[in-house]
Amino acid sequence: MKTTKFKIALILLVIMTIGFSFTAIEKVTVKGSDTMVILSQKWAEVYMKKHPEATIQVTGGGSGVGLAALINGSTDIANSSRPIKSSELEKLKSRYNTLGVEIPCAKDGISIYINKANGVSELTVKQIGQIFAGQITNWKQVGGVDAGIKLYGRESSSGTFVYFKDNVVKTDYSPSCQTLPGTAAIVNAVKKDKFGIGYGGAAYAEGVKDCKVKKDDKSPAYFPTAETIKNKTYPISRYLYMYLKSKPTGQTKAFIDWILSPEGQSIIAGVGYFPVK
Amino acid sequence: MKKIVLAVLLLSAFMAKAQDVQKDTIKTVSIDSLKETIDEHSMKFSALDERLATSDAILEKLAKIKISGYIQAQYEVFNYQDHIGPGTSTKASPVTNTFSIRRARLKFTYEALDGVKFVLQPEFAFDKVTLKDVFVRLNDRWLNTFALTVGQFDRPNYEVEYSSSSLESIERTRMSTILYPGERDLGAKIEADFDTKYSIPLKLQLAVLNGNFNLGTTSNQLKDVDNNKDVMARAVYSLKLPSKGLGIDFGAHGYFGTTQILAQTTPPTVFSDVNNNPFTPVVGDKLDKQWLGGEMQIYYDFLGGMALKGEYISGTISAATVNAAISNSTFSYNRVRDFKGYYAQFIKNVGAKNQLALRYDVFDPNKHLSGNTVTTAGDLKYSTWVFSWHYYFDDNIKISAGYTLPINETSTIVGGDYLKDKTDNTFTLRFQAKF
Repeated sequence: MKTTKFKIALILLVIMTIGFSFTAIEKVTVKGSDTMVILSQKWAEVYMKKHPEATIQVTGGGSGVGLAALINGSTDIANSSRPIKSSELEKLKSRYNTLGVEIPCAKDGISIYINKANGVSELTVKQIGQIFAGQITNWKQVGGVDAGIKLYGRESSSGTFVYFKDNVVKTDYSPSCQTLPGTAAIVNAVKKDKFGIGYGGAAYAEGVKDCKVKKDDKSPAYFPTAETIKNKTYPISRYLYMYLKSKPTGQTKAFIDWILSPEGQSIIAGVGYFPVK
Repeated sequence: MKKIVLAVLLLSAFMAKAQDVQKDTIKTVSIDSLKETIDEHSMKFSALDERLATSDAILEKLAKIKISGYIQAQYEVFNYQDHIGPGTSTKASPVTNTFSIRRARLKFTYEALDGVKFVLQPEFAFDKVTLKDVFVRLNDRWLNTFALTVGQFDRPNYEVEYSSSSLESIERTRMSTILYPGERDLGAKIEADFDTKYSIPLKLQLAVLNGNFNLGTTSNQLKDVDNNKDVMARAVYSLKLPSKGLGIDFGAHGYFGTTQILAQTTPPTVFSDVNNNPFTPVVGDKLDKQWLGGEMQIYYDFLGGMALKGEYISGTISAATVNAAISNSTFSYNRVRDFKGYYAQFIKNVGAKNQLALRYDVFDPNKHLSGNTVTTAGDLKYSTWVFSWHYYFDDNIKISAGYTLPINETSTIVGGDYLKDKTDNTFTLRFQAKF
């Protein structure tokens, strides 16, 4: 153990360890949140035009899928529309011995989509929670017509599903809530269903109407706009995140720095979300 | 000519009229048959809808069952003095290398409702299937803070609870193997995680256990063998400094139990106490089995992630081979001892696919004696160096290589092989497939 050969081998190992740690990445993989996929693709498109040497590959699949890919090493950046769970953080710690890096990159208001023909125009956060929990089942209970409420939601790998459940529903979703693979599918379903209701990122609300949301019965109701999200009067708003397993270097760092720059942040509004600051 | 033209014209007129008549008939037939076809398809779609709804319901139930598992196949090379051990190796008939299956486990998790989880984890070997984890976990839905686990589960200790598929060093420490044989025990455990609801990064665990798991024969482990329950408590606080890329988890745990003498021989077997003095316990006597430990894990995001982990445990351990029911194969003596043990482990991630680990662990089964005052081999301190390298081939496959270098304390009184460090090193090459 105390031989010279052993000491030399140990020193060589340390040098190799430090040497191998420096790897330059030109291709950057981004995976995860469907809420963020359009925004992320736009960022990638604009960035690659300015930096032809870089290749940014963006795919969706849901926040849960993105974070799982980050943990198993198949993505450089995980997009997530919810904070990382403690169980995911433990897996990251176990695999990479880091706490991961959390970068809030945009803000989003969760819109409540209802059909344009629906007479209901505003709901409290509690009522929305009770609707999606299956405790309120008829539109007449919230001031609408006498018709059953049809629920449209996301799959459990979605960050929007988790965020909405933790912050609005606060219990299990109703078993009758139809699971759809993406916010666009929810919007489509509500557009065709006069008595449907769904939830998702504000950027996707085309062909349906946003329901005004009020904190409680006594508060005024607000639409999700840049102003109401910035001043926190809109009750259901959240950060959108990028997660990395360790401090970024090379092209990944350059891409993230650009996203957080005024130029990168100016693209957000065009997609329907809101700058992080 | 005129007659021919007239005949052709008349013929054409008839043909046209016939086609007109045919066209009118086809139109009527088409609309009716279209309506029938639509009705028929509509009924088929309704039937399909019903079948889909039934399949959806079944799929929803099946989606609640999660199956995971891993297989560890390995090749070991032994460098043992006189080729004695492990297994059947002897000086006359040495076995210096072998292939073996280290672990083959499946884990079934069923989330019946949000907050209710069933876990069943059997381990498969050539000649038997044993149960590793078998428990029901209830999470409180009101405060999102507490969880009650009942069944067979890992004892609350950092190294024990760390998944065997994720170990950074090729095997657990000697200390952990002796203090927590089999890692699991039967009992009930309450856990509180104050992070989710209160944003306080504190976890508390309190477990009440039978205390005889992996002691004695399998049949003696199915239920408690004495009327005493062992208690474990653990607290861990996580400090996060994300701007510095630094995370520090620190905590402490305690084990409070006894070893009850369930049987004695005739003439009675003499035990050895903490001062190496003989004593003769009788049936019903309870020997101390309790210790306290501290732990710390430091994570630092430097050139791709690294960690420094350590534990220190000190207390009193007791064992009784005179009881078949509670005989500890990793500490098979009739004695009570004040022990201490600790380890320090350095782990460095190299890029996304490589990981290096270096661990130094010590277990001193009798902290009152050292060197040439040690009188029995069972009281000799062991210090072990473990070097490990892991290569993550892909999402599911990990290749690990490890070299274990135990160094035993020497004693002239114990003598024999223990006049010097007895050679007992092992090289392990392990292939792990996990899903």
